[in-house]
Amino acid sequence: MPETRVLYENLDEQGLATMDVYKRRGGYTAIDTAFRSMSPEDLIFNIEESGLRGRGGAGFSMGKKGSFLPRGDMEKYLCCNADESEPGTFKDRELMYKNPHALIEGIAISALAVGASYAFIFIRGEYWEVADVLDAAVAEAYDAGYLGENILGSGCRIELVVHRGAGAYICGEETALLDSLEGKRGNPRLKPPFPAIQGLYGGPTLINNVETLMNVPLIVNKGPEWFKGMGTEQSTGTKVVSVSGCVKRPGNYEIELGIPSREIIYGLAGGPGAGREVKVWFPGGSSAPVLTGDDLDLPYSFEAMAEAGSMLGSGAIIVGDDTVSVPELALRTARFYHHESCGKCTPCREGTNWTVKMLERVVRGEATPMDLDIISSVQENIIGNCLCVLGDAMAMPVGSMVKKFRSEFDDAIAAARDAAPGPIDVAGADEPPLVLGATA
Amino acid sequence: MSNGKEITLVVDGVEVPAADGAMLVDAAKGGDVEIPVFCYEPKLGGPVGACRMCLVEVEGIPKLQTACSTPVRDGMVVYTQTERVQEAQNAVVEFLLVNHPLDCPVCDKGGECPLQDISMGWGHGKSRVTDPKRHFRKPVPLSPLVRIDRERCILCYRCVRFSQEVAEDEQLQLLERGSRSFVGTFDDRPYIAPFHGNIIELCPVGALTSEAYRFRARPWDIEDAGSVCTLCPSQCNVKFTVRDEKVARVLGRDNHEVDDGWLCDKGRFGFQMFHSEDRLLQPMVRTGGALHKATWDEALQKAADGLKAAGPRTAILIGSQASNEEGYLLQRIARQALGSPHVDSRAGHRLARETALALGRPELSASMADIDGAKTVLVLGTDPLHSMPILDLRLRKAMRNHGTRVAVVSERPTALDGGADETLRYAPGDAATVLSNIAADLASSAGGSGGADAERIAGALDPGNTVVIHGERIGYGPDGDRALGALLAIADALNLSASGCGLIEIPETSNARGLREVGCLPTAGPGLSEAAQGMSATEIRDALEADELDALILWDVDPIRELPDPERWRTALGAADFVLEVGMFGNASGGQADVFLPGESHAEKEGTVTHPDGRVQRVRPSVPHPGDTRHGWQWLAELAFRLGHETGVDSSTEALEALVAEVPFYAGLTHEEIGGTGVRWQNREQASSFPTPRSALGEGASGSPAEHQTTSPGTPAETDHAPREEREAGGPEAPSPETTSHSLRLGTYRDLWAHEVTERSPALRFLMPGQTLELSLADAEHFGVAQGDQVNVRSNGHSVMAKVAIRERIRPGSGFLIDGLAEQSPNVLAGAETVQVEKAGE
Repeated sequence: MPETRVLYENLDEQGLATMDVYKRRGGYTAIDTAFRSMSPEDLIFNIEESGLRGRGGAGFSMGKKGSFLPRGDMEKYLCCNADESEPGTFKDRELMYKNPHALIEGIAISALAVGASYAFIFIRGEYWEVADVLDAAVAEAYDAGYLGENILGSGCRIELVVHRGAGAYICGEETALLDSLEGKRGNPRLKPPFPAIQGLYGGPTLINNVETLMNVPLIVNKGPEWFKGMGTEQSTGTKVVSVSGCVKRPGNYEIELGIPSREIIYGLAGGPGAGREVKVWFPGGSSAPVLTGDDLDLPYSFEAMAEAGSMLGSGAIIVGDDTVSVPELALRTARFYHHESCGKCTPCREGTNWTVKMLERVVRGEATPMDLDIISSVQENIIGNCLCVLGDAMAMPVGSMVKKFRSEFDDAIAAARDAAPGPIDVAGADEPPLVLGATA
Repeated sequence: MSNGKEITLVVDGVEVPAADGAMLVDAAKGGDVEIPVFCYEPKLGGPVGACRMCLVEVEGIPKLQTACSTPVRDGMVVYTQTERVQEAQNAVVEFLLVNHPLDCPVCDKGGECPLQDISMGWGHGKSRVTDPKRHFRKPVPLSPLVRIDRERCILCYRCVRFSQEVAEDEQLQLLERGSRSFVGTFDDRPYIAPFHGNIIELCPVGALTSEAYRFRARPWDIEDAGSVCTLCPSQCNVKFTVRDEKVARVLGRDNHEVDDGWLCDKGRFGFQMFHSEDRLLQPMVRTGGALHKATWDEALQKAADGLKAAGPRTAILIGSQASNEEGYLLQRIARQALGSPHVDSRAGHRLARETALALGRPELSASMADIDGAKTVLVLGTDPLHSMPILDLRLRKAMRNHGTRVAVVSERPTALDGGADETLRYAPGDAATVLSNIAADLASSAGGSGGADAERIAGALDPGNTVVIHGERIGYGPDGDRALGALLAIADALNLSASGCGLIEIPETSNARGLREVGCLPTAGPGLSEAAQGMSATEIRDALEADELDALILWDVDPIRELPDPERWRTALGAADFVLEVGMFGNASGGQADVFLPGESHAEKEGTVTHPDGRVQRVRPSVPHPGDTRHGWQWLAELAFRLGHETGVDSSTEALEALVAEVPFYAGLTHEEIGGTGVRWQNREQASSFPTPRSALGEGASGSPAEHQTTSPGTPAETDHAPREEREAGGPEAPSPETTSHSLRLGTYRDLWAHEVTERSPALRFLMPGQTLELSLADAEHFGVAQGDQVNVRSNGHSVMAKVAIRERIRPGSGFLIDGLAEQSPNVLAGAETVQVEKAGE
């Protein structure tokens, strides 16, 4: 099954990042339609009708989120979440780098839909090259009158600022993103209130991922029916999938939602190397519970992944073949989240830290099978008990790995013990045993 | 936020009534259900939901909810004991202990530790952690008063939130990230701030410990005794931690109406003064030219003899910490036993009775809690941070949480300037003119009649929704009466008699309001009744010098250190035939005391005090009397008896009874009614017997001619005070004419730390300021002095040595020195209009 190129239609064309080429390819027609002939209500209706779900990870209906923002005369904001930091995810980078104007157009239309006059692109700090491209495109859009005062004579004003993050994964969490944008330490906020009610600077705020917002001009141009015509009933449209790991052709592929996962991993990305099998794969970034080689025929859609106990997340597929050690993969995953935990809430701060210590012992061969029970129990104690989902993002994949590959963990413990040269170096092990009543 | 509606929710099957919108953790208490918390502390503002200790199950919500951040609704069904909830709570306790050192046996918090209690009540009881814990260098000083043990820290954020959101000093930060996070300051600098001791009390574990209390006691060694701190007018409610009959620690005793649950570091660490080795604990009598230890009997007899000999030629000065009962008995000794009306408790010139009545009337008095609800607050001639520190926190809270707009009108820049909507600087001594201008602006319908600056301030105020906070000092000096007249005109124009509005005076001494109300004024008797006119403090000094008075009682007041013109005071004390000094250290009379009687600390005292907002509070003896000290009321009654005046006072209850019998608006007040949190006399029906001033503005008041100055609204400029008001009292852009002749208008202020308690408490000693001249950059350049230079500040042949501090927000032409220092006190320059500055040693 081939790719379904919608966002990627002209993506590789030279110069698409400039206003001229973008317009030649039909760009900035949706903004025209939206500002001249559509009301905010029409826009929200169309977006909701299209079934467009958030492409950043949570998969929440964008139209519904937009409709939560209160109407009326108040300062509202739109934030584009471009802090793409999830391991395995690299789609927004390519989309923004090659087609920044489509994002700007999507932001302008979405801002009109919710009545926001200030918009921000919070871009991952390491994407400095992309940020430069965005800056240039934003300047062009201001010059062309697609941003700023009185856009296309509508009387609407939208200011757009590209803000570079300072390098923390947690700032991709929507409320931490807001705090960081406000100049504070990037820590998640307590919800409720949700950002749609009280977000940036206390005002109602719409926060959406790059890919989500880039779909908006297409929906305006071609209509919600066209969008719904792609994908499944609950997962409409296309999705850009970032495939990485043990595959022959890693990269971004735009697919229609609902195609078999095997088509993506084997068909598009070429599958693992000769003679290798898919052993373990993350279907939606490193936060998603892992699936196994038995799950390759699942349709790649939000609902099918949820049913299989995982999630589609940001659409990042990381593939591990039969050479991959799952305990080491678990440790690598846990280390990432331990490093990125903000430390605000207890289960995440301490749970990630403790899990790493235990997994290190597993890999070193200093653990007992009882430790595996503790690891599982700790993951369960994290899930659902944290302030934001960062803790869950470690607990879900690590928990799923211990559950699905328990024997491999047991073997790793046993093998490391067997391979150890002498007694395991624990405190006091080389001292003579203390015998009560014995004289020295 | 609560909307006042009563609702019912069900907690663990029990119907619990609660206020709609209250947080679940608080509402559950109504059903006797305790939900454990670490980070939740309403005093610090809204919930943060960080510790996750308070997870509970709410019917209809799939995920467990944090009870600290879940507002209750009618019909809400909550479970706090289900297996799911218990598992989550066990898990959080276990997580908290992953890195906690469990060194409880040597931890100061052990025994009074929320982490211990919650581990016991909501934890597994066993640990599954075998991995090494994180390590920090510990304990390290966070400040000279607080040590931090970062291994014990459970990262609940309370201290950081206090620093950032309550004290707003923003020094404490959470550094690093995740499990490597720790509390610290930028660049490891010491956390020096006037309220930072509160973080010790906020800490739910032993991570923050007090230098003054570390390893001094365990919870089973100690008892708590509730009382009131009388070191400053804030009169915060405190708990003394007592071990072996000594105060070992001071904690807050939350009283929203008084201190909002906070203490300043002076109140928290100043208890060390009680145990100072320099404290005198025995009566002393002058024999053969020197003071010698004596029995109470000898000392009281000698005192009675000395006072009897002087009779009506006796004067009494009452200072800082006297209780209402002590003040009442002292004035009774003067007025009734000796026939002398010369009693004063103020450092300024005499306060006319009519002015005291006009300013003190109940409808014009705001309560501390009124500040929370006021739309605007006007701060006049004071910096609460120095004069009544806890008020600074309250004003910050009002600005932050309630959007209260604050206007500051003062000589010297204040700590509140940053958050204030408007500020106005005037030259020292110009208070009367500035206040008159504001009054004029407020009174005229068009506005603008008081000049642009007055208009700016007046425009920021919301009549009918304002609290005015003013310093006692605006009434000092030759223009004092005019300033107070203008203040009354402002009160009138702002309709401060409306409910929720009013005046709060920040007095110079902690119980000033109480002392005035029980008769310690030369112009009014108990209950501000009409009385024979006596002399004010300054007049007493002059009369002693002129041999018109013979005897002086000094109660907790050091005229040489604190009152204007120390040299003349020295002469006056020398000229007195008899001086009775009462105090803790016996250094107040310049060595001229004939009898010294040992004073009590506020931990030993028994009696009542009156808060600046009229709340009568009870000071309770928390420790036994050290040495040979006695209750003040007790020996005063004895002294009166020896002077032939039977007071009928044999107990503190009788002392209060005698007092309230003579103060009609305190009538019937008992210790029981005052209770643990005090009672505002304005809220009792007896308040209606407050004497009516004949005119609101002091008409017919006796005393010095200046007091007859009436200033009616709208005509503040009509006055016969010639020179001062002609000067502009305008904004900082208008320098005083004096600057051209290279002189400064000198103002003084009592620094928060410029008190004996700072010198006498080892923990606080590092905070004792040296004399500092604050001035603007322009003036510093005029005088050719730079930051940190030692300079002589000179006038009329007197000079004070000070270090230069250039301050940005000081009005050019003004300079400020610190009052109340033991050395280089600026009271030698008192009365000087202007001063010269020159580099020392040139």
